[in-house]
Amino acid sequence: MPQFSRRAVLMQLGASGLAALTPGAALAQNRYAELDTQPWSYLDGNEARFLASMADVLIPEDDFPSASQAGVVDFIDLQLAGPYGQGAGLYLEGPFGDGTPEQGWQADHTPASLIRTGIARLERDDTRLVDLDADEREEFVTRLSEGKDFDLGDVPAKTLFDEIWALVKEGYFADPIYGGNKGYAGWEMVGFPGAHAYYPDHVDKNAPFPAPPRGIAHVPGTRHSADTASALRGADTPKEEG
Amino acid sequence: MATQLPKTDVVIVGAGWTGLAAAKELADAGQRCVVIERGDWRHDASNFGAPEEHDELKYARRKEHMIDTPTKTLSFRNNADQTALPMRRLGSFLPGKGLGGAGIHWNGQLWRPLPSDLEMRSHYADRYGEDILKGMNVQDWGMTYDELEPHFDFFDRVCGTSGVAGNLNGETQDGGNPFEGPRSSDYPNPPMKASPPLQMFRDTAEQMGYNPFHMPSANVTRAYENAYGAQLHPCTYCGFCERFGCGYFAKADPIVCIYDVVKDHENFELRMNSQVLRVEKSEDGKTATGVTYVDENGREVFQPADTVCLNAYALWNVHLMLVSGLGTPYDPETGEGTVGRNYAYQTIAAASVFFDENVWSNPFMGAGALGMTIDDFNGDNFDHSDLGFVGGGYISANQTNGRPINYHPTPPDTPKWGAEWKQAVRENYLHHVGIVCHGSSVAVPQNYLDLDPTYKDAYGQPLLRMTFDFPENDRKMSAYVLSKAEEIARNMDNVRAVSTVNRAAEGEKYSIVPYQTTHNTGGAVIGSDPKTSVVNRYGQMWDHHNVFVFGACLFPQNLGYNPTGPLMGLAYWTLDHMKNDYLQNPRPLMDA
Repeated sequence: MPQFSRRAVLMQLGASGLAALTPGAALAQNRYAELDTQPWSYLDGNEARFLASMADVLIPEDDFPSASQAGVVDFIDLQLAGPYGQGAGLYLEGPFGDGTPEQGWQADHTPASLIRTGIARLERDDTRLVDLDADEREEFVTRLSEGKDFDLGDVPAKTLFDEIWALVKEGYFADPIYGGNKGYAGWEMVGFPGAHAYYPDHVDKNAPFPAPPRGIAHVPGTRHSADTASALRGADTPKEEG
Repeated sequence: MATQLPKTDVVIVGAGWTGLAAAKELADAGQRCVVIERGDWRHDASNFGAPEEHDELKYARRKEHMIDTPTKTLSFRNNADQTALPMRRLGSFLPGKGLGGAGIHWNGQLWRPLPSDLEMRSHYADRYGEDILKGMNVQDWGMTYDELEPHFDFFDRVCGTSGVAGNLNGETQDGGNPFEGPRSSDYPNPPMKASPPLQMFRDTAEQMGYNPFHMPSANVTRAYENAYGAQLHPCTYCGFCERFGCGYFAKADPIVCIYDVVKDHENFELRMNSQVLRVEKSEDGKTATGVTYVDENGREVFQPADTVCLNAYALWNVHLMLVSGLGTPYDPETGEGTVGRNYAYQTIAAASVFFDENVWSNPFMGAGALGMTIDDFNGDNFDHSDLGFVGGGYISANQTNGRPINYHPTPPDTPKWGAEWKQAVRENYLHHVGIVCHGSSVAVPQNYLDLDPTYKDAYGQPLLRMTFDFPENDRKMSAYVLSKAEEIARNMDNVRAVSTVNRAAEGEKYSIVPYQTTHNTGGAVIGSDPKTSVVNRYGQMWDHHNVFVFGACLFPQNLGYNPTGPLMGLAYWTLDHMKNDYLQNPRPLMDA
């Protein structure tokens, strides 16, 4: 089976897909570009395109990158290939019952197999999320989030949506060492300064915090949140000492 | 065939707060102690350092410090008509695993019970009449606040607790909690700093006639040598307490506060990666002979001991009793039996406050116990005559963290995802605070723990089965306390919007999915009547006098406070009676 590179998969997103929505420069900077000569660790091309399409409905591009531009699909791929995706945190002994929403996850699947099986059943009639236009994609994701109108066998649609949405948020906001949050996209957006956290001189001050993000790997970020930056430009903003 | 080891004086199941406190106190009293812990060895110095520890994905989402459900979980249902299904993934609560137990990933919110909390049935019956407790298994703890006070005081000096006393030897103090029981000495350390939203909460609460104070905190505010001679350092307000260990030695935990001062003791031995399967009983069933466990090499081992201490997490202590045949299991049909009876939880609601751009909460600057609190609606600090419920909760503006995967406060009516959601997250992250209502939980006959008939754990033992939903009493209580919190929120300045969430809202069932608190209580409760308690008022099992039980499983019903303070007061009380009475003359300390 041929191993398509990540870039090749991304370029197959189609005229109405991510490539069309994404300026070339942003594409070149996104996480696919760094990993683009490597094949996926767990996903296949269809799954990657589905997840990119869905992730960009959940977190679309604005002044800050979309989910896929921030490396969320790479993040999900690595997570599904690793212990989490393979069920490390899940008790998977039977028998399996449907249960109530209050009883939580009852699917006879690891996260990886839930997503693989779920996508295959969603697209079994060869309609691909990636082929829909923007409005149709949003409508599809809305219906999936409500868990209605889908018969996915032993994959509860709501569980599938919740799992993907959780992974998308993790990929957008987790430390960049996991492959997402490219260029601190998520942290810069909200103004989270990162892992090097020491605030005894600031915690009681009503003022923006001037440091851009810095993750576990100690790579400095470049900009503040839009909110912090505009406040710091203000004339009367209290300056932090030291 | 289990390998039998040489006998020890005391075997202790679990190396968390109570297990290590028991080991320290009993080793000092000349008892040879073997502590058996299911998880890994770890230490603040070598395992919890920043920046690696400040990894939200690894610790808060993948929960690397917590119990792993494939090894140990329970089954759950809302009521006895349902079929319980396994808690396949952690959610509502997060028991720990490894040296220090859940004590390494706590927030450090270190409370004492109100005096009236410990005599809840007598207190409410005297003030309002017995009928107010109808349908509830509310009962007295079997000892008074005054009896426990020296032990609360000692634990404050183990942790280096920070705060402002509200009641010193009966004298009310400015700036403290005026409702608290008398303290025999002041907090060891001054209170934490207050972030801007906490300052605003304090001002507003004061204007409304309430009594705000700094939440008592085991996030230490200055260099401090604790009662055992261990050194703690000042808190950095890094925002990584909850779900994380503290590499700054600033959050009191069982490792730096106790383990370090007992690890080299000649009477102390710690066995890691060892899962206790059951407590073994003598032929006449009246005493325990030791414990059988699976060691780190997978061998089954019997450790004989004169005295057995159960110091596992509240739920697992109850599980161990049930699989070992200790005590009599509770039968909800007849109301007889006590093991598993009076399981309770914590009733959580919250108001979310969205400020305009002039208020910088900077939520990532936080600490587990950074809070400004009122206790005006906790316990019986307010008149319950016409309210139709008992109990209450504290209301607290808390700034514990701004973990960016999880912390996405958005105003009411914001879509759950998409462009508008993204914009709202961005606009509100730095300008928001949560006000929690940390409510009590009464015990009722239909909420209990027993063994699951179907599902088994990795050792082939039946899972614990939890049957729980919020009692009607607590739904009313929670709605009432939340309405008070919402009033405060709406009276604060610079507020653009307020939203609320109530886990115990009318019509909502308790769900095991969203995180609420790791405050599971009861199931092996303390008391002075063997018909309604598993252990006597000293923490000694009625049915097996050489078994002593520790932890929140002892609570007859849950308080409106976090459990670590109350359960450590009980632990030192039990240890005091073991050291100064029982061990010289082993016997039942109370007549059944």
